[in-house]
Amino acid sequence: MPRFLSRRGFLFTGAAVGGTALVAAVGGVGYLATVDMDGPDGFVDGNRAVLNAFVAVHADGRVVIQAPRTEMGQGIHTGLAMLVAEELDIPFDDLISVEHPVEQLAVYTNYAAPLRTRPEDAHGPVMWAAKRALGLLPLMNTAGSSSTMGLWFPMRIAGAAARHMLVTAGAARLGVPVGELTTSDGFVHHGASRRSIPYGALTRDAAAVPPPREPVLRPASAWRLIGRSQPRVDLPGKVRGEPVFGADVVLPNMLHAAIRQAPVFGAGVARLVNAAEVRAQPGVIDVAVIDGRSVAVVAGSWWQAEAAAQRLDVQWTRTEADGVTSAGLAASLHAALDSDDPYIHLAEGDVEAGFRPGAARVVEATYTAPFLAHACMEPMNATVIIHGDGAAEAWCPSQSPLFMRWGVNRGAGLANVDPSSVTCHITMNGGAFGRRSEMDVVVQAAFLAARHRGRPVKLMWSREEDIGRGVFRSHAAARLRAALGPDGLPIAYDARVAAQAMQQSAASRNLPFGNGGSARGDRFTLEGLDKAHYSFPNRRVRSQHVPSHMPIGAWRSNGFSFNTFFAESFVDECAAAAGADPVAYRRALLRDSPRHLAVLNRVAALAGWGMPMPPGRGRGIAIEEAYESVVAQVAEVTVAADGEVTVDRVFCAIDVGIVVNPDAVAAQMEGGILFGVTTALMSAITIEDGAVVESNFHDFPMQRLRNAPEVVVEMVPSDLPPGGAGEPGIVPVAAAIANAIHAATGRRLRSLPLAVTETIGERRTRSVLRENAA
Amino acid sequence: MVSLTVNGSPVDISGKDDKPLLWVLREDLGLLGPKYGCGVAQCGACRVLIDGESTPSCTVALGAIAGASVVTVEGLARADGTLSVVQQAWLDEQVPQCGFCQPGFLIATTALLAHTPRPTDAEIDEAITNICRCGTHPRIRRAIHRAAAAQAQG
Ligand code: FES
Ligand code: FES
Repeated sequence: MPRFLSRRGFLFTGAAVGGTALVAAVGGVGYLATVDMDGPDGFVDGNRAVLNAFVAVHADGRVVIQAPRTEMGQGIHTGLAMLVAEELDIPFDDLISVEHPVEQLAVYTNYAAPLRTRPEDAHGPVMWAAKRALGLLPLMNTAGSSSTMGLWFPMRIAGAAARHMLVTAGAARLGVPVGELTTSDGFVHHGASRRSIPYGALTRDAAAVPPPREPVLRPASAWRLIGRSQPRVDLPGKVRGEPVFGADVVLPNMLHAAIRQAPVFGAGVARLVNAAEVRAQPGVIDVAVIDGRSVAVVAGSWWQAEAAAQRLDVQWTRTEADGVTSAGLAASLHAALDSDDPYIHLAEGDVEAGFRPGAARVVEATYTAPFLAHACMEPMNATVIIHGDGAAEAWCPSQSPLFMRWGVNRGAGLANVDPSSVTCHITMNGGAFGRRSEMDVVVQAAFLAARHRGRPVKLMWSREEDIGRGVFRSHAAARLRAALGPDGLPIAYDARVAAQAMQQSAASRNLPFGNGGSARGDRFTLEGLDKAHYSFPNRRVRSQHVPSHMPIGAWRSNGFSFNTFFAESFVDECAAAAGADPVAYRRALLRDSPRHLAVLNRVAALAGWGMPMPPGRGRGIAIEEAYESVVAQVAEVTVAADGEVTVDRVFCAIDVGIVVNPDAVAAQMEGGILFGVTTALMSAITIEDGAVVESNFHDFPMQRLRNAPEVVVEMVPSDLPPGGAGEPGIVPVAAAIANAIHAATGRRLRSLPLAVTETIGERRTRSVLRENAA
Repeated sequence: MVSLTVNGSPVDISGKDDKPLLWVLREDLGLLGPKYGCGVAQCGACRVLIDGESTPSCTVALGAIAGASVVTVEGLARADGTLSVVQQAWLDEQVPQCGFCQPGFLIATTALLAHTPRPTDAEIDEAITNICRCGTHPRIRRAIHRAAAAQAQG
């Protein structure tokens, strides 16, 4: 795999050179000017000119764009390429190709997700220090719906800087002032003399041009691409079955590995009963215990490795969690809702006053949500080789090349090998949803590679390992209370959630230093609960961390995935108590939030809110602000007499700020909604004897085409900078469905999933409300 | 030894009668389009055409299909590279997200349209039981109807 940048790309250590494109460029927008963020100076490599860390132009006119975020189906490579192409002034066609960079340059750092702000808005000494630290690592995670937010400026600046270099080279070539030149469709034009030069003919000269100090970005009125749907760059290959996902990596002399991990998290290998027998299976060359915690089988093919692994007889150590059950875990959540030591996230006004006896009508309800697996279609995998010279090289559909690098070092270290360097290749990615921010499979593969030095080892987990032995979204319970005033609107809103903190759990597995801070007050437990856009005069939001033996990790929309279900169901309950229409009620609550109100009104109009529905059918609405976007959805459901529930249609309005690629945003809303329908109706991970019960798609089912809702998406025009799109789509779905079930049946469902899945034939299921289920 | 036709070419494979067709395709024939998603005939990512029938290849032993003609996603386009009507509809509707499930959907739809050129929504529901975790369902339905219409026009 050719490297994009020469050694010269590693300018981080030689950053004193200064004056490079990005430092100069970002100075112009007031961001990062004080942080060493150098990409390479322009240089020529063969018949291409690398103009900066993001853009290379080939002599034949091809443009190669480095997109430093993982393409996992969200279409980010297309969106980032559009931003470059907009400013570079090239057509969006098949002369553009997009790669994930191999080099981990500071300039590729993701600031938006960890700092929770747009990098161009991050000012002050604390932000400077944080950016400096993140850039030193550098953190390039694809997470938190942050990719477009974080690269909205840098990608356009990279395109504008490259265009400037090409135009400057063109001016010299033509012997005319720069100001007399224009560009279009990949050409530099001199109108007066009717001469044009293709970019490809200017590459060598352009590479020598100093990057501009302050590239001028196009005004929105001049955009040709931003806001106009462009076809995804990865789809022509995907309909031919061509892309190389991590699972498809094939290298010369490669070994394959399968794995078995302890059913109870925290348990280790007590005894490997039949190592010799498994070792003697066809094709098997190694049976290895990894870190005392799992057993891998290495063979000449994955089929052989997995077949042999199925014969493994492993005795696992006993742990304190051996007797844990879902019921016990749920009881611990409910107990935590009554603890006298909650973390106080927010306390505005005098909440208790609202609840004094006789002061008002009180609405109170308790809700729950289960543990969840990610179940990405591409099973977990990584391929690692430790070369003869000690350098390591890895291929993985990772969301984090940094964690991947750490994972290789840790895994090799477990085999007492210290790689001299680690080169990470981010492959095509078959779905991630937060799961591939973990480095578990990378550690394991690197350990095996260190045992088989000089040979690549590809480790892939079976689906059963993926669902039952992985990382989970926390379960959660919440109690919400509101005191309604004479107008029926809440005087006081009091929300309390109990769940297992995500950040500390994830950090303990994935960061080589520290433990990720306190679990108390974990923001991923709290997000979505404060309903800040609603005008509640008095508001209190509290949380409780409830530890368990379960490993908790990032999961598409994290706390929003349960808190918005809790809070938006609860607001519906308040509306019902007040005898108000759910949309009218929310309109009143959004009186000080015009952006949200516009989205609410849009989705209500789209769904024909208020039009009568036949018996057994109902509409429900929910709204949330998440990842700097505002999203509202109306679900239409049918509940049959026997309790079968079908989500017929979901309407979605979103204000995602400026939309880069509308069709990709629509796809993310559709995908988030379908993901959310599965979650709301079907998904639960249950625990018995400390272990996950579910193991594959027969007992962790997915919504199939049958009964899949029709989805209608509309984007509300906005001139705010782009917000996130990958996660907001899933956020309101569960509450909208629960509210619709209430409208259809009068029944208020407060526990996820809302239904049980009944099998009605091979690969055919239906969802039946719990109380109707057999 | 088992003889097959795979994407139009004859192949002979010996000593692997018990191996699932999916792994023969992926590991012995280098056809990486069919994917492993579950191994238990649930997800459909591994679907291939076996004598024209859409079949989960993860649970079909090679020895059980001697003499069969197998088509994988790599075999859907014409020899000159032109996309099949189903693939073209998939592109026109911008269906795939991550794409990992899509080879199986493309195969299942190809088989459906061969049997049922203008399927109703109910017939689509009945025939297409694959799983897509990314949630491309709405576009898949649109693309099936688009492909059916394109096929009808010749
Ligand atoms: S891998 Fe064959 S159906 Fe899932
Ligand atoms: S496109 Fe990702 S699983 Fe279907």
